[in-house]
Amino acid sequence: MTGTDEPILQVRDLTIEFAAEQGRLPVLHGLDYALPKGRVLGVVGESGSGKTVHALSLLRLLPPTAHICRGEICYKGKNLALLKEKELRKIRGHKISMIFQDPSASLNPVLTIGEQLTETLLAHRKLSKEAARSKAARLLEKVGISEPEKRLKEYPFQFSGGMCQRVMIAMALALEPDILIADEPTTALDVTVQAQILQLIKQLQQESGMSAIFITHNLAVVAGVADEVLVLYAGRCMEQAPAARLFADPQHPYTQGLLHSLAPVEKKVDRLPVIAGHPPVPGEPEGGCPFAPRCPFAFEKCRQACPPLFELGGGRRVRCWLQEGKK
Amino acid sequence: MTVPVAIKQLYKTYTRRRWLGKNWEKPVLKDINLTLEENHVLGLVGESGCGKSTLCKVLLGIETPSSGQVLVCGKDTARISKSEFKKLRRVMQVVYQDPYSSLDPRMTVRQILSEPLDIHGLKKDRAERSAFLSELLASVGLSAAQLDRYPHEFSGGQRQRICIARALALDPKILVADEPVSALDVSVQAQILNLLKEIKTERRLSMLFVTHDFAVARFLCDDIAVMYQGRIVERAPAEELFENPQHPYTRALLSAVPSVRAPRREPPATRQEWPEREQWNCPFAGRCPYAQPSCEKAPFAFQEVAPRHSCSCGLLPFKK
Repeated sequence: MTGTDEPILQVRDLTIEFAAEQGRLPVLHGLDYALPKGRVLGVVGESGSGKTVHALSLLRLLPPTAHICRGEICYKGKNLALLKEKELRKIRGHKISMIFQDPSASLNPVLTIGEQLTETLLAHRKLSKEAARSKAARLLEKVGISEPEKRLKEYPFQFSGGMCQRVMIAMALALEPDILIADEPTTALDVTVQAQILQLIKQLQQESGMSAIFITHNLAVVAGVADEVLVLYAGRCMEQAPAARLFADPQHPYTQGLLHSLAPVEKKVDRLPVIAGHPPVPGEPEGGCPFAPRCPFAFEKCRQACPPLFELGGGRRVRCWLQEGKK
Repeated sequence: MTVPVAIKQLYKTYTRRRWLGKNWEKPVLKDINLTLEENHVLGLVGESGCGKSTLCKVLLGIETPSSGQVLVCGKDTARISKSEFKKLRRVMQVVYQDPYSSLDPRMTVRQILSEPLDIHGLKKDRAERSAFLSELLASVGLSAAQLDRYPHEFSGGQRQRICIARALALDPKILVADEPVSALDVSVQAQILNLLKEIKTERRLSMLFVTHDFAVARFLCDDIAVMYQGRIVERAPAEELFENPQHPYTRALLSAVPSVRAPRREPPATRQEWPEREQWNCPFAGRCPYAQPSCEKAPFAFQEVAPRHSCSCGLLPFKK
């Protein structure tokens, strides 16, 4: 985290609400972070923590019932939250692109891989069809697919899950974006394939110097790729720190709980420590820290007021009253 | 004393009839030999498409074996009559991967849990049934007040608890769990894994636990069998397998497991890199970084490398 790094993406006080029968349901409360150029940010959270909503909001792909009610998403001096749809189209897929969780569901089953890959290229670049096709073949080669010319004529069902995800990555990288958003890119894949895909993303990211946001529920996945990790819980950032420090010495009780509940591969344990209770449902009356009902260290203050993010130095921020006054 | 499950030389081939020409055939299980011992958890680890779920289906009698035997409590599932099989179903129950699609959204928890009891004509007295269901829910960590709710009112972890309760309703001896935690969040996974371990000890269950996650397998399993392309390539007590993995595929799988505690080791060489080795006897030859010319002609055979630890790779032993 060198101070001279100009952030390529700056998210300030991002708040998102869903319109529902019961009224407005807040799902993201004032998210704040900066993504430096060439870095990988890991966003970790359970289902319902708002991590996917956050990812979709960056490109304004939110469902119609959701809207950004406060905050800004600054990319190169433009606020994506307020940008006109026409302007936004130039950025989507071109400057900021995205990979989704289920690769076989994100590809069109009735178009060949070649048609889908060239579509992106032709939409944003002035290229002839032949040029686009040869570029597409080069892209497939880059993501480790052999015989690209032949594969371009094939349909998604002829590809395995891991191969589909490689195609998705090729598509996302086709226009050399500045930022890649990967929403649970390996959850649907096997461990060996997962390892390959993670390595591929990391390698391509380093080669091209782009930034990436990696969203997952699995801390172990983030450990291998991210430079910095942000832990989301009930729509709030609970802890943010450089990856190595977060895993070596987690400060927030929630992060600690998450880390401990991972089954270790290195040794056999008799019982996995779990976080008691369940995450709050959006819309429930709030007061105090959202994690307080499940927190083993909670005290009176935690139930009364939600703690702010305490800056601990070294790029570390923790939302917990236990950190008050610590430096 | 017969073992709960013994599988002998099991083969399963899916075929598709064609009007003309040869039928399309896909062998999915080849020469499977396994025993599940009493009060043991046997872990079945492998990638998708290796035949793990098919093996479960054959064991549960959903698919019939092409050849070979599946003995459940000493009875050959392919030979017994339908009524006898119904009795066997009380002994053997299943929990599936996705708790969202394995519960009927239009049935209350009470109806879901009552169904197996109705089918087998158990606990017919209303008061007795009610007390039994409350106790059953309590044993999986839910409260009796939740009996009249519908599945959509529960979270993924709670639904998986209901699935487990349904499987336990008939007090089975054998539980087949097909990836029961892979659809759940990490923190919920830990809860369900603890629950499975508890009920295994309390009810003296034998469990066939299918997973692709070695960390999960290490926590829960007593024995582990590693499957690759329809064959079992290595079989060992769990701790032995982790301390002393022998087959190159097992080693590749182990090195691919992401971990927060240890930095990533060298990337696993597990891509199809040598397609010309497709016809070799060893199913892993096409991806094996250690393959020797001698592997080409070597027959596929199991060797015992340590007590109860056998492996199909001829290039043994690997040092730690």
